[in-house]
Parts: sequence; C-alpha cells; structure tokens
Amino acid sequence: MQEPTRRFSRQSAVRMFAHEYQEASLPEEGSGEYDPSFVITKLGAKINRALVCGVIDRMERREGESGPSYSGHIRDPTGSHLFSVAPFQPELHPDFEELLARFESGDRFLLALVGKARWFESEDGGIFTSLRAEEFTVIDKECYTNWLVETAEATLRRIDAHSASLESELTPAALEAAGVPSDLVDGLILARGHYGELDPENYRVGILQALSMAIGRTSVMEEPQPAAPTPTLDAATSQAQGEPPTPSEPLGDALTLVLETIRSQDAGEGVEYGNIIEALVQTGHSHESAEDALDDARTQGEVMEPRFGFFQLVPE
Amino acid sequence: MTEDGRYKAQVTVVKQECPDADDSEIEEEFRRYEEEFLIPPEDALRSVVRKFQTASGMEVTKLASPVRAEMKVNRFSELGADDRNVTIEVAIISYSPRIQMVRGEERQVAFGWIEDNPWENSDQRERWDYKDWGEQSENLAPGSVVRLEGASVNEWNDKRSININRTTRVTVLREGGAPVTQISDEPVTIEKASENEGYANLVARLISSKPDVIVKRDGSGQLDVVRGRLADSSGSIGFLSWVPLEHEPGTLLKIDGASVRKFRETPEINIGDRTRIEVYHDTAFASMDDLSQSNKVSIAELRNGMRDIEITVQVESWDQRSFTSEDGTERVVRSGDVIDPSGRCRLTAWCEVDPKQGDFLHLTGSRVQYWQGSPDLVVDDAAQVTDLSDPPWDSIDPEQHWIEADLTDVVTSGSRRGIRTNGTIVAVRRDSGIIERCPECRRVLREGACIDHGPQRGVEDLRLRFVIDDGVSNASLLLAKDPSETFLGMDQGAVKEQLEKEGQDGFAAFLRERVLARRLSVRGRSIIDEQGAMLLADEVEQDETTSVDAANEVMQRWEVVL
Repeated sequence: MQEPTRRFSRQSAVRMFAHEYQEASLPEEGSGEYDPSFVITKLGAKINRALVCGVIDRMERREGESGPSYSGHIRDPTGSHLFSVAPFQPELHPDFEELLARFESGDRFLLALVGKARWFESEDGGIFTSLRAEEFTVIDKECYTNWLVETAEATLRRIDAHSASLESELTPAALEAAGVPSDLVDGLILARGHYGELDPENYRVGILQALSMAIGRTSVMEEPQPAAPTPTLDAATSQAQGEPPTPSEPLGDALTLVLETIRSQDAGEGVEYGNIIEALVQTGHSHESAEDALDDARTQGEVMEPRFGFFQLVPE
Repeated sequence: MTEDGRYKAQVTVVKQECPDADDSEIEEEFRRYEEEFLIPPEDALRSVVRKFQTASGMEVTKLASPVRAEMKVNRFSELGADDRNVTIEVAIISYSPRIQMVRGEERQVAFGWIEDNPWENSDQRERWDYKDWGEQSENLAPGSVVRLEGASVNEWNDKRSININRTTRVTVLREGGAPVTQISDEPVTIEKASENEGYANLVARLISSKPDVIVKRDGSGQLDVVRGRLADSSGSIGFLSWVPLEHEPGTLLKIDGASVRKFRETPEINIGDRTRIEVYHDTAFASMDDLSQSNKVSIAELRNGMRDIEITVQVESWDQRSFTSEDGTERVVRSGDVIDPSGRCRLTAWCEVDPKQGDFLHLTGSRVQYWQGSPDLVVDDAAQVTDLSDPPWDSIDPEQHWIEADLTDVVTSGSRRGIRTNGTIVAVRRDSGIIERCPECRRVLREGACIDHGPQRGVEDLRLRFVIDDGVSNASLLLAKDPSETFLGMDQGAVKEQLEKEGQDGFAAFLRERVLARRLSVRGRSIIDEQGAMLLADEVEQDETTSVDAANEVMQRWEVVL
C-alpha cells in the first residue's frame, strides 16, 4: 500500500505511443491545491508524466514577451508527440538551442523526452494533448528500440486491463478482482465512463510495428489501415540524408488537399498538424510528401500557423 | 532583531483589515508589543489592528461588535485556549463517527486526531484531538490534508482540541483514503484495524502479555503498563495497556473502544480506562496453536517499531565493541549482518551471544528499530536466542545474496537491504557531481556553510542523483563516490575536471546523454519513509538485454505473433 501521507509523491513516467496520447481527450484537474493533473487515455492510462522517444520531426523557437519558448514533434511508429519548452524553463534553453541548430542544419536524430501532460481545449470543446519537456537527450538506436519494446509492453498491458474491465463492474474492488493492475484502476473507470466503445486493435497495429522494428524486421507488415503512418526505423533515422520513399499513386495534388482539409475541418481554432497529415496519407500521399506539402503551403503564405501545430487558411 | 516571518500570521490578519499598512511597520509593532510590552503577538492583534486603522483614518472596528479576526497559524502551539476563527492546515489521522444526543436531537458527530505541520515528517508534527460537529465526513478522510477555516479551540481538563463547526470551511488540499461514513460498533479484523489510526472494536485472542514500565520523559516518575500481542485469523498486532490486564495468554477477548495508534511505522492497539474488555466465547475462533505462528516474520517484512517478533536468521558477520555509557558503566554491544532467504539486515544484541559466521539463530521476542534508515533486529536477553543445529535452509552465500525485487515491490514495502531492482532513468538531478561536505558531520554544505557547524572548508565528495522509474513506480537513486566512479568509468578527479570545463549544466547534459531513458540494474538498499522511496546503490549497471531479446520475451509473454 502506498504511504498516503507523502507530500508531492512523484508521478511515474508512463510509456506512451503518440497515437494513444493524441487520441486522449479526457483531462482531470486535481481536486486539491497540490494534486497533480492528468490526461486519461482511451485505454485508461492516467498520465501526469510520460517518457516518449522518437525521431525529431519539427523544432521551433518562438519569441514571446516573457522570453523564448520552443516546441517540436517527436515521431514514433504511431504518430507524433507535440512537446514544448516554456519560457520559465531557462535551464533547458541552451540544450534546446543546440538541438535546434543541429535540426536547422538539416540533421535529424532520435530524442528521448520526459514531459508533463498538458492539454488545450478549443472553443468547440476539442481537447489537444501535448507534453511540456522536463528532461531530454539525444539517444542511439538501441536505446530507442528498447523504449519501443517497453512501450509496446506497457500498451499491451493496458489493452489487457481494458478488456478485463469489459467483463467487470466499474468499481475499484471489482476491477482489481478482474485482474486490473492497481495503477490502471482509476484511469479505466474514468476512461470507460467518458469514451465510447473502443476497438483496441487500433493500438495493436502500433505495437506490432514497434516490435517489428525492435527485432530488426524493417519490412513492416502490410498496413491494413492507412490511417496510421508507417515510417520504418531506418527511414526515420536516415530521413535527413535518405531519399523520401516514392509515394504510390497520389490521389490529388498535395497542396490542394492541404487547403481543402483545412477549409473543411477548421472550426475556428485551426486544424491540428496530425489531422492534416493523416488526411493526406489516407488519400495515398506518403507521410513525407504530406509534410512537405504542408510546409510549402506555409512558406507560400497559403496557410498560417497562429498557434504551434494548428493551421488556418490565410484570410483572402 | 527578530527572526524573519515570526509574526507572519498576525501580519496577514492586520493586512486584511488595513490593506495599506506597511508589512515591516506592522512587524515592528508586534515586536514592540512582545519585547517592550511583553504582550504576545496573538494578544496584541486587536491593538495593532486598531493602531493601523487609526493611522490610516479608517473607521475603527468597534469593540462592542468585535470582528473575529482570522487567526492564521501553522502550528497548534501558536493557538490560545479560546481562539476562534482559526485557519490552519492539518493532516487527518483518524475519523470516528458517533451518534450523539445534542440538545435532545440525535446527531452524527465525529472525533479523531489531526496533526499540524502536515507537509513534514510525523516526528515534526503535533497531534491534537478534534471533534467534527459539522458532518464533514466527506472532507475529513484519514490520510488527507485539509485547510480548516473558521475552526475553534476547545479546552477541557487542561487539554486543548479543535472544534470543526458547521460554519467551518474545509478545503481538501490532498486527498486521503476513502471517507469514513459508516458508523459501526461491529468488531473488525486486526488486518482492518491496522489500516487506519482511530478507534476500533476487536475480538482477538491474547497471545502474550507481560508487565512493563514507561519512564516519563519529564523525569516525574514511571507508569506501569502491560504490553503484549493480540491475534485473530487475519493477523496479529501488538498492544499497550495503560490499565491492568490480568487475563491469561490464550484467552479470547472482546475489546470495545480500543484506539489504534502508530508507533513509528507499526500500528499498535492502545487500551485505556475507557476501553471495555470482556472474555468472549466462540469455539470456532482460531486456536492458540494456529495463531502463535502469526508473529513469525521474514527480514523483508520487518518494519520500524515492531515488537515481540519471532524470526530465524543466518549470521553473516559478528562483532562486539565496548563503550562507556552515559552513567559511566562499561557496556558491551554485539552486532552483525544477518540474512534469510528474503533479504538481509543488522542484528544487535545487548546480551551475551557469540555466534559464528554461518550459524543459524532463532530469535523470539525481538524488536525492530531503525539504524541509518534500515530495520535493525534487536535482542536484549540471551534467552531470546537459540542457536539452531538443524539448518532451516541450505546455507546462503552472502556474496551472491541479492533479492530480486520489482521496483513497485521495493517502493511499497519497508526499507530493505541487499536488493536488486531494475528501471529506467527519467531524471538527472542537477546537483549530481562534486559536492562539499562538512568535515564535522559529513552533511552537504550549502553556500559554504553547514546547518549545524556554520561556515566550513568543505571536503569534496562525488555523488550522482537520478530518478529511476519503471512506468508504474519510481524512486530516487543515489550513487555515492565508489559506485559513481565505477559506473562512470571516471575517478573523482576526472569528474571535477569535466565539471570545471563544462559547468554544472554541461555535466548534467553529459549525464543525461549517458543515462536518460536507459535501463539500469541497481544493487543496494532502499530507504522508504514519508519523503518517498530512495535507493542507495552499491553497484549500478547498464541493463545489457538487447532489444531483440526483450522484444521476443514480450511477444512470448503476451502471445503476440508478428
């Protein structure tokens, strides 16, 4: 039993793939003054802190009134984690600047990042999750694949607990009796109460990709659902130097699709980066060309990014 | 000169009444009242408020309708016997509801214990009784920390307590366990009674009992008490009776209105003059033979403050030393390291016991106290020790004796020695590297000064501090000089050189590159207390399992086919 009289007992860092975290839309503010806040995923992970790894995808500095802030994307086999460094974290700024310089010179690298769960609620009630960095470092491939395995197992454990919860009453005692590990009980009760029905197979795809990468099978299985982008590890690590994979027959001009997607999905708050890329990937564009198209649209002044990771059409 | 913040609580109250007043002037006024007028700040409050109200031309609060100034305090000791409208943050220790007739009406009231200074260790807190008149059970769950606003002090028989009234506002600052809403006079099991401090009714068999004395701390004499053990099929618990208890061991007792209090980390039943004890008859109740097993423990189960336990250990080393005690007599204390299949600990003997390495000892009636944060078995009388000729297990090789423990098991059990655990580093503390220690007490110097010994020329030492985490549990991980040097493959001089070249932040970045997101295997001991869990490493190694092997293992465990 956890000693209940501890102050600020540190929250453990949940291993989490981007897909599961992106899809989370249930934040929980602590009820007490000192209580931590959480983002609860569909599988019932209660995330205050997470350990994520992947290839660095985007990096940016913003100058604000209170000083510079930074943001970026870390991509794993299932999607991208959005992360930020706040102006009030000056101790992280020099390290980030160094990485930014590497990034801007065209270098890409694998990053491990420990971050605190953050979210933003749009006017229409959409929840967008991100991480505020606490610690990060460049890692090698072996460290990354180890994380892939650990995170695959952590996700399998959550899927297992989630299925066990379907047969059980949603009370702590009943869930524990059904074999749900105690760290997942609270989160599962909240998740089952908030989210609709869930097909955990969505998450299994990412697990299989992660495990394939770890055992060095670079030819990832045929992707049945084009929804999830499928960068292989080698493609990810050598992205900077390597040729982008040739896209299969794209179904339309990428730039037009970017504009169409934003026009149809923007409810006033802009459309999230991941959603735009996903829309393009679904129509047969490769992940890379989708990103290039969005980048082009931005540099050409067709779209603007009023907030990091959210895009709007430039008003005529 | 006054200490900083000495009058902080009172200044806050004055500021509420006179927002324009200057903090330091208010403080100066309280200092004058205390030092020149010998009026303690709490009594000077109204005068000071009036002074600043007059000074600012505000309408002076009329004495006829005194405004109850809010008394914001941090410690119970700051409270007077009839203080009202008190604001204080407290930890709820227990909550025992009762139905009570109040002015001819049946009402649920509750009483229990609260402690001040709730964010600190329990030995830095004071405990008072409280009564809840406001049916606030939802907000007063044991284990929670709350802010009380508008509570009052009650004094009865020279003993002060806190009243939580209907108008008292209770803000939960940190949630505790489940609220106690059930009123039950039904007896509970010992296992249940051990979970929370508070009142409990029990049916239990008396396992052992012997008279003891407690010497009052103020030197005013001693008290006769009875100590012993009670057991039922759910477990056993020590008791301390402040009243004579003449039942024979083996007797089944019904005990109503005993209180459960923690002695160090071990719950204990307290029997006082308001506890009712009667002999109980239940032929189905577990027999003495069944129950006498219940105080047998293994080293992994030891907790600070345990008494009267039975345990078998293998002796790893044994030493004796003599010293002159405070009263001038020469005394001998023997001690050594002992192991069992669950772990290792120290054994201290205040009696003549001279085992050899490899001997097996059976100890009865021994107690546990903490020594440098780890449990230490203590025996006081040679009659408690039997040297076993029949080994209870194949002799354990102490060199190879590391108990594999999952990080979650480590942080949820008591402090243990001789464990090995795994996890991933998720934080590098920025003070990792070279520190300066006080040459007198080895404490870390802060800005060149020791908290006890003042400014010192420090002795340099190397240590690394990380956080290790397995996704479910986490602990701080501390590497002293030797394991740090081995782990880094650098000696202290090389670390110092690198620190001088790259600075503290550069060194932290270097460490992060080495350890962040890496799996480590740690051998050493754990210290578990209210601050959390800490691992003191003897040795730290990078986990060399390849991701291919790890992935295959995961696929097997979860029956995943690619």
